[in-house]
Parts: sequence; C-alpha cells; structure tokens
Amino acid sequence: MGAYIVRRVLWAILLLLVVSFITFVIFDVFPSADPAALRAGRNATPALIEQIRHNLGLDKPFYTQFWIYLKGLVTHFDLGYSYYNSESVKSEIFSRLPATISVTVGGFIVWMLIGIPVGIVSAIRPRSVVDRVMMGGSLVAISAPVYFLGLVSLFVFAKGTGQLQWFGAAGSYVPITQDFGTWFNSLILPWVTLAAAFAAFYARMMRGNLIETMHEDYIRTARAKGLRERVVITKHGLRAALTPVVTMAGMDIGLLLGGAILTEIVFNIPGVGRYAYNAITNSDLPAIQGTVLFGAFFIVFANLVVDILYAFLDPRVTYG
Amino acid sequence: MRRRTAVVVGMAAGALALVAAGCGGGGASATSGVQGASHTLVTSGAKKGGTITVLSNGDVDHIDPGEAYYAFTYQITYVTQRPLLAYKPNSVTPVPDLAASMPTVSKDGKTVTVKLRHGVKFSPPVNREVTSADVKYAIERGFDAAVANGYAGAYFGVIDGAPTKSTNTVPSISGIQTPDKYTIVFKLSKPSGVFVGALQEPLTAPVPAEYARKFDKGTSSSYGNHQVATGPYMIQNNAAGKLTGYTPGRQIILVRNPNWNAKTSWRPAYADKIIFKEGFDPTVGTKQILSGSADVNGDFPPPAAELKSITSNSSQKSQLEFTPTSGSRYVALNTRKAPFNNKYVRMAVAYVLDRNAMRLTRGGPIDGKIATHFISPDFGPTGFNQAGGFNFNPFPSANGSGDVAKAMAMMKKAGYKSGKYSGPQVTQVADNSPPGSNTAAVIANSLAKIGFNVKTISVQHAAMYTRFCNVPKNEPNICPNVGWLADFHEPQTLLDPTFNGKNIIPTNNSNWPLLNDPAINKLMSKAEVELNPETRYKEWGHIDDLITETAAAVPWIWEQFPTLYSSKVTHASELWNEGGPDVSFMAVK
Repeated sequence: MGAYIVRRVLWAILLLLVVSFITFVIFDVFPSADPAALRAGRNATPALIEQIRHNLGLDKPFYTQFWIYLKGLVTHFDLGYSYYNSESVKSEIFSRLPATISVTVGGFIVWMLIGIPVGIVSAIRPRSVVDRVMMGGSLVAISAPVYFLGLVSLFVFAKGTGQLQWFGAAGSYVPITQDFGTWFNSLILPWVTLAAAFAAFYARMMRGNLIETMHEDYIRTARAKGLRERVVITKHGLRAALTPVVTMAGMDIGLLLGGAILTEIVFNIPGVGRYAYNAITNSDLPAIQGTVLFGAFFIVFANLVVDILYAFLDPRVTYG
Repeated sequence: MRRRTAVVVGMAAGALALVAAGCGGGGASATSGVQGASHTLVTSGAKKGGTITVLSNGDVDHIDPGEAYYAFTYQITYVTQRPLLAYKPNSVTPVPDLAASMPTVSKDGKTVTVKLRHGVKFSPPVNREVTSADVKYAIERGFDAAVANGYAGAYFGVIDGAPTKSTNTVPSISGIQTPDKYTIVFKLSKPSGVFVGALQEPLTAPVPAEYARKFDKGTSSSYGNHQVATGPYMIQNNAAGKLTGYTPGRQIILVRNPNWNAKTSWRPAYADKIIFKEGFDPTVGTKQILSGSADVNGDFPPPAAELKSITSNSSQKSQLEFTPTSGSRYVALNTRKAPFNNKYVRMAVAYVLDRNAMRLTRGGPIDGKIATHFISPDFGPTGFNQAGGFNFNPFPSANGSGDVAKAMAMMKKAGYKSGKYSGPQVTQVADNSPPGSNTAAVIANSLAKIGFNVKTISVQHAAMYTRFCNVPKNEPNICPNVGWLADFHEPQTLLDPTFNGKNIIPTNNSNWPLLNDPAINKLMSKAEVELNPETRYKEWGHIDDLITETAAAVPWIWEQFPTLYSSKVTHASELWNEGGPDVSFMAVK
C-alpha cells in the first residue's frame, strides 16, 4: 500500500506540472488579452506598457516565464502575483478556500442524503409509481442549469429578493468563524441548488448499480441463507453498489473544491470559483494558473483517496 | 478614456470601452443631464448617519488613487481623496476641491497656479496638514511604472521636465513648483486647452511622500493598500495604515475620516458608513435594491427586462435615473487597407449600416439615442451644440435603419459599377459574446446588402482590443465593437486620442480607423492649445463634423446609464461620472 501511494503521489506531481505547462501554453498561443496593456490602461504610452511588460516578466519567452514560475512554486510555494491588482495569488486562493469548502462539503452532504436513499428506494421498487416519480424528478433536476435554479431559488426563498424571505440572500455569506447562524443560513440555497443536479445523478446511478447488484449470485446466496431482505440490501447489495458512487463522489468533490463556479457566481460567494471566473475575464494568468493548479490538485488528491478507500469498501481490491 | 468596470452583464471583461448602458427613457432635452429623476439633489439639511450599501458586479480596477481609472472606482476615490478640482453631482463643471479657488492661467497659457485650502488633513496614521508638496509627489509618482497611471503622460506630460520615457522610480519634475505650502505652480512646455480640466483627475489628490515612498519602491506600488485619505471618508484601516476595509472582489468599507473638516469641503457626507458589496449578478442586485436590502447599483446596469418592468411600475419608476455616458459606440473602418482606404466605400458603409438594428442588440431605445456624430449630447454647449447637435447627420436614413440606395450610389462613385462591392472578403474582429457579437452580426448583414462578404473573428472583448484593434499591424478591416468615453468634459478627450494622426502608435493605439488626415490633424493641433473655451468648443465641434464626414468611423449610439436607488435613500447621480452614485451626497431617509 505504501509503495502504491508513493507511486501515485509522484505521478500526481508530474500531472500537475503538465497541467501547469499546458495552461501556460494555452495563454501564450491563443489570442488572450495583453496583460501589460490591460494593466496600463487605455491612455497609456507604449513605453509605459513595455515597462510594465518588463516588470511583470512578460517580455521573456514563455518557457523562461514558466521556469521562473515553476522555481517560485517549488522553492517557496509561490503562486505569483495577480497582473490585475498585484495581490498574492496564494493568499487570495487560501482566503477563499473556506468558502469553497463550505459550499462543496455542505452540497455533498445534501446530495448524498437525497441521492442515495432515493436511488435505493427506486432500485428496490423498480417501475413502481414511486420509482417513476423519483426518476422523472431527477431528470428534471439534472436538466435544470445551476444558474437558472439558483436564480429561481433566490427569487422564491431568499431574504431581500424572494417571495418567502426564508434563507440568506446572495452576498450574505460570512465565514463560519464569524457567525455560524448566518453562515449556515446563507448556504442553504447554494447547497440545495448545487445538490439538485448531483443528487439526481447519484440517485440514478445508485439505482442502476443496485438493481444490477441485486441480480448477482451472491445476493441470491444471501437470500437463500434466510437473511432478511433489509440485511441483504444493506450489507451485501449496497456495499458493492456504492463502489462506483464513491469513485464519482471523489471526482466531483475534487472538481468542486477547485471552485463551484456557477454556484459561487449566482449566490455571490467569495470562493475559489468566483476568483477563477474573475481571473479568466481579466486575462490574469497568475490567478488562472493558480486556480487551475488548485483544481487539478484536488481532483488528483480526491482520486487518490478514492483509490485507497476501495481497499476498505471492496475486499477484492488489494494494492501491491 | 475612463471606463466602466471590467465585468458587466453580457460582456466579456478587460479593456472595456463602454458600458452596456441603460435606458433612453424619457425624451429629455439634448443638453440635460440626469434624466427621469423626480428627486432633488439634497445638498444640506438631510439626516446624518446610517449606512449606504452599494452593489457592484466587479471590483475596482486599482485601489490606489494614483492608478484608478474605472468609473466605478471613482465612486470610491472621489469621496476618500481630494483632487485639486472635482465635480458636484448633476454637474459637469469642475469646482475647487483641494484647491481654494479655480486655477489661474498666465496669458501665454504656460503657467498654471493653484492655491490650496488651509486645514485639509490626511487621515490616520499620517494625521498632518496637506501641503503643495504632497500634490507634487502625487503627480510625480504617476509617472513611475510601479504606479502605472494610465493618463499621466496624456494630460500631465505637457509639464516641463515630465519624463518622456518610462521610469521605475518616482521622478522629480522641475515644472511642478511649490513656492509655499499652499501654492503649486505648473510650468508647461506649451499651452494646453485641457490642462485645467485634467486637474480634476485623482492623480492630483495629495499623497504624503514621507509615508508613501516606502510603498512605492519596487516594480509594483503597494501604497493603495496603505493609502491615507483626505476626503470625508476613508477606507477602513488599522493603526499602521493597512487597509482592513478592502477585500478584493468582495467588499470595500468606507468609514468617516476623523481628520476631515467639514468647513473645508462642500460635500455634506451624510452617511456614517458606506459598504460597496461586490460580485453581484445584475438581476439579483436589482431585486435587492428594489426590496431595500441594498441602496444603489455601482457598476452594473439593471438588465433590460428589469428596466422595462421598473419603468412600467408607477411606484418604482421614480427610483430610476438615467445619465448619459459621455461618448459613443462606433464602427471603425481601417483607412489604411483596401477597400476602406476609399472614402466613398466608407460613406457607403455609413449609409447602409442599420443602426437601429444595432441598437436593438443592446436593448433598443431603452439603451440610448442613435448617434450621428461623436461628441455626445451631454456635452451640450461644450461641443455638442457647436457640432450641430441632433441636426448634424451626414448619413441619414429612415429610423436609422440604413439607406441601401444611397449606399449603392456611393459604391458607384467608388468605382463599383454595379453599386455592389466585388472585391475580396473583408475581416472584422468582434466580441465573442453578446451584445457585441450580435452587433457584429448585424453589421455583417448590413454590409452584405452592398455586396460585402464579412468574415468575423470572434475573441474575448479585451483580446479584441489589446491583440487586434489596438495594434495597427494586426488590425482587421473592421473593428465593430469599439467606443470611447470622455475622461472629463472637454471634447478634446473624446476626439484627439481617437482620430488625431499623431496619436497612431504601434501598441495601445486608440485611433482605430488609423485616420491621419493632415487637415484635421492641423485643426486639432490648433484647438489643443486654444485657451478660450468658447473658441475651443467651436473648433472641436467643427472637427467632430469633419471626422464624421470622413466616415472613417461610424457612430451608432449615445448610451445612457440607469442608476437605481432604493426607496430608503436620497438620490445623487454623478453626471460627470457616467451616472455612478455620489455617496457623499446620498442620505438615508
């Protein structure tokens, strides 16, 4: 197991380097905006723009810029400074991470609490009215874009903008350390919005997996042993059916930790996703690079955790 | 060219030329300012105290007053800093702010003297009285690439001894003299018709050298995050001066400046605290303002659907005000390349463009009036009227929908016997997102009526400027999504950077049509040094007409910006600043 983890970590580092390099190449090759010109403003002289270009190191070849970036990253964990407002990218990302973690973890809990039970109920009563209603509902939830669902929820339930004024408004997020009540209230709508599509997807996946598993020979054996149906489902069926769900959950959590962009934008949550969005619109390479790297890190890390979890979930899996 | 914030609904961000603006609303007169306002500006006697919440979509461009350039940023800069001159809401006439009186200009126009008010103090931790040396340092640091002020060269480069090359240190400029603590004298290398107007730029707001110098060292100044204030408000800070009230992309908290002396200022400063909350979706922000949970929009216009709903609601209608944005959007035709190096081909384009359909891509009449020349109606007697006002329209068509017959006649004059273009495909570089992408599509369709096959390259808005339209060697035949706003109400700031041949530069070029007409250049050189305002406005009005007649660029809209106030506050729209709220004049009811 130890050797496996070390091997995976080394591969992960290589992968992050490749991702970082590709981001640099994309920014260099494709017609993105000129950061020096943006920084200087529209009335600036060419000389000032060139000076800024020099100060930012943008007059060097892209591979030299990449090397300087890499050196800073490896030696000081330095993600550079924003071209747009000169703020430290690392500080910005770390200061925004708690908001993104709040959105992701809460959303994950909500979608698992809804998706798994719905999937199980549908699986054990396939083609029943309950199954059809739940699966039909899940299709609607999957089809509804987060942006649309978010706005609708704000206009119905949010204080200030909604008809019912129950939950926190857009922009009401505060850190958990500042005020737990406000934090919780401000995140209810984002959690539900974010969870809607995921819960629906997980319910359908859980249903499919469980239906398939319940037709396995070892399930028949368990039933033949005289075990109660509840035990057969929870102890034997669910365990196997959960493995792909865990894989997907790992991927999705990793993805969202890199920034739940749409949710953070609609609900004005100051997270990494919103920062990434602003970075793209401002052609702010250091910020783009930092957020891409963070996103990639979380996906790689989540995958590693999931692979390790397999060994505990599925007795057939061992690592040499 | 000042600009609205980088992120506006429906637009890509970056070097944004013009805002997706608002609502034509009522048919106000050509020279009027803020429209739709049923509220009188409250200049005294309102209730003191309370908190005003301003919502924005994006962040300030730079928190440092020496770097600030966005219209939204100015909403904060002008209530925390005191430039020599400034504007009151609903006005485009500068009045003394840090200055004790209007500047005096010598007969030869080469010496400008400004007397400063006594008793203006810096906020903590500096706490001392402002002197003329602080204004001198503020302007000098603008030439340092670490501060990277975008307009220092354009307006203050005329001062004797101002750097002509970029520098990485704060230069000492011999032409800025401080004979005593309260007098600053500018020695100019030549007369300038706009220099006094430029003294309202925030670059003239004082900066204490002994405090700021350590932050100005290096390749990027950090003074912005440690700035001190002279206005009625300051960005919340700690004892060491580090800002605690600015969280990039999230919020800016203004609190009262304890060292501000009301007797030295004309700002009433009613509210105790102002919070700029950033990152709001325009639809959500609009709803919050209507509900009273926030007070005013800072940088985003309420979306068209919301505007229609508000203007048709009798109880909400009075919460909305419309302000001209001091400039125009136009289509730039590359005069250096065929076929638009032929004046008649350009005139054909000017005739055939369906400006009404183009306006519909931004919301229709609710977005503003169809432009027929470049100086916008809000200039009124300072250039717009002299250019012929609404009566000057060299390329008329019914409803602004284009005149194909006249366009074909022009094409025949250009040598195309059939009246239709028969040359190779032409290229335009356009926004890759609405509304700019839709405008470009309308242009391509209009040109197709006279035989053009337009290839559209779609890129991010900022890339459209900085990689293509601002770089003459990369410039396509057509830049369909450009526009320009005035830095202040002098027509020179609209026409000189954008149409003077001497301003064509290899990068960051704003003369998009690459117009280099010797006769027009000559007239501009004369108008630039004209010190008599009446003569100057007349000259620029005439220049506006001549430029329009070249059809090097085709103006199509004079936009207006809608500012929405909650019912809990009094209104104060900045006519000089594209409609942004002047929070120092707003009061909680």
